[in-house]
Amino acid sequence: MVLTQKLHEAFKGTVERITGHRTVSAFKEKGVLSVTEFVDAGDNLVSKCPTWSWESGEPSKRKPYLPPDKQFLITRNVPCLRRAASVEEEYDAAGEEILLENEDNDGWLATHGKPKGTKCDLEDDLPSMESLDVGKSQTIQSISSYFGGGMEEDIPDMAEYEEQDNVIETDPGTLQYTYLVAHEPDEENILRTRTYDVSITYDKYYQTPRVWLTGYDESRMLLEPELVLEDVSQDHARKTVTIEDHPHLPGKHASVHPCRHGAVMKKIIDVLMSRGVEPEVDKYLFLFLKFMASVIPTIEYDYTMDFDLGSSST
Amino acid sequence: MAEGCSGSILQFAPFQSSVDEGFWHRLSSLKLNQLGIDESPISITGFYAPCTHPQVSNHLTLLSESLPPEEGEQSFVRDRSHSNRNRCAVPGILYNTNTIEGFHALDKQCLLREEAKKIWADIQSGAAEKDSALLSRFLLISFADLKKWSFHYWFAFPALVLDPPATLADLKPASDFLSLEEAESLSVACNEWRKSSATADVPYFLVTLGSNSRATIKHLSDWEACRHDIHKLLFGFYDPCHLPNNPGWPLRNFLGLIYSRWNLKSIRFLCYRENRGFADMGLSLIGEALISAPQEWRYEQHVPSSVGWELNRGKRLPRCITLSKSMDPIRLAVSAA
Repeated sequence: MVLTQKLHEAFKGTVERITGHRTVSAFKEKGVLSVTEFVDAGDNLVSKCPTWSWESGEPSKRKPYLPPDKQFLITRNVPCLRRAASVEEEYDAAGEEILLENEDNDGWLATHGKPKGTKCDLEDDLPSMESLDVGKSQTIQSISSYFGGGMEEDIPDMAEYEEQDNVIETDPGTLQYTYLVAHEPDEENILRTRTYDVSITYDKYYQTPRVWLTGYDESRMLLEPELVLEDVSQDHARKTVTIEDHPHLPGKHASVHPCRHGAVMKKIIDVLMSRGVEPEVDKYLFLFLKFMASVIPTIEYDYTMDFDLGSSST
Repeated sequence: MAEGCSGSILQFAPFQSSVDEGFWHRLSSLKLNQLGIDESPISITGFYAPCTHPQVSNHLTLLSESLPPEEGEQSFVRDRSHSNRNRCAVPGILYNTNTIEGFHALDKQCLLREEAKKIWADIQSGAAEKDSALLSRFLLISFADLKKWSFHYWFAFPALVLDPPATLADLKPASDFLSLEEAESLSVACNEWRKSSATADVPYFLVTLGSNSRATIKHLSDWEACRHDIHKLLFGFYDPCHLPNNPGWPLRNFLGLIYSRWNLKSIRFLCYRENRGFADMGLSLIGEALISAPQEWRYEQHVPSSVGWELNRGKRLPRCITLSKSMDPIRLAVSAA
């Protein structure tokens, strides 16, 4: 971990301990949430998108300012069918705008492509309001998991036990099926579906939600947090996305650092208000998750709802 | 009815396991602080939910809450009521050995048979009709190497084997099987069932389709009241599998229950699946299974044979995960320095 990051964490931890949590709403003014607004927005997310649920996490890590059964939000087993890194290569190759094909063959114009060599400025933090629909691609990468490298040597150990194991099951009712065998032309051409557990915690220091990612490979084995960075937009990998201790779960997880969240949310809210839409605080997380989709474009978590974003002027 | 139909063998997509890092952290601390060298089996809780995405199956997941709380720890509700719609609790048992040799020496066939016996006993006693999660009972064996922070483990999802196997008379998306009104009504009923905290984690259920196209969902314990509606009855279960042509594993023991307790040889089942958290009749399947197993299935003393050890990338091998990065105190001290 970088020294500055550590210093900052120590500072942030101290401030969080000695200061009270926000009680006055500053949603429209600063794009931030009070604790009760976070809980309200979370309740709304859970009821509209039932793949999300509240959880209590590790008892020892419980935050006293949040209800014990509503410490953080989580949605498990979210598919990620392709690597964000490879999606961006296509964008970059295509320049400013590219047409994406989806299964229904209606084209989507993606405006996220960047002309080569242009530095992204602050405006790029603000996602466009159109949803970005990523179609199928042939781009495939081979990924190692925890089992790559060092772990391989432990596995042959097991082979010698294999024949001794009296686990011989011949059963016509068992579907002989694995992801690997299912579409196996050769080792390099397997589209490896990763899945993610995506969680949202409340960051007391920045007074915004914060997203955490736990990745799994196609056989649902834990991914090294480093590999998770392949599923993060490359503008954000290692800059805004860092690997840190989860506030409610054990272990290191990748997280989108919340230092700019308030400012970006404020911008989104301003855009909505300029379009005559009065943003409601319990819809904060839908806007927030839409914004997060620009950081993790290929992780297909659910944040859809019927609500008017105002006439989008494209 | 479908006598002339030369059905194919009904094949079930195996359950897949997924273990959260928190489970291993808690097991380690339980082992170090409480269990010591005690190798007695531990009751654990797994969680699963219906498939919720057309491209990925759901898993039987273990979390830190799957293990019993440590002594002296503030006892937060860790019982079955702690489940929610996205994590329906399923009972399981853990055999954690002290040595790798002990792990390999476990008589796996015997352990699997023991769990299958419990499932069979719960079917015969009627317990499974009251608490249907008992049908998906699972088994985990493990060896926790706390010097290297690596964990060897192997799951089994015991399934009673019908011999000869059940055949399939029909299987198609629920939306093709039902009329538009029926599909609509079934979606509404399922969404309500999934929304109510009293039923959200009840993974097996009965569906009756009325003559007015109205679908009603009932508990398995209401069988007596439904049995006369048999021509329009569906046996529903939360299907973790996403495949369009195969039902998931939890149907196996359900068919066993229906056949041995209720004496049905032609069983119309509903593989209940969701999309983004709501009932999806295009992903959900309705099929008809034909069973011709022998009479022994009516006798309680006869325990059918069982299968269910999970494959590791297509092979019959245990899995292993190393968590020294997040658990080894020396490594943690170095990375924190």
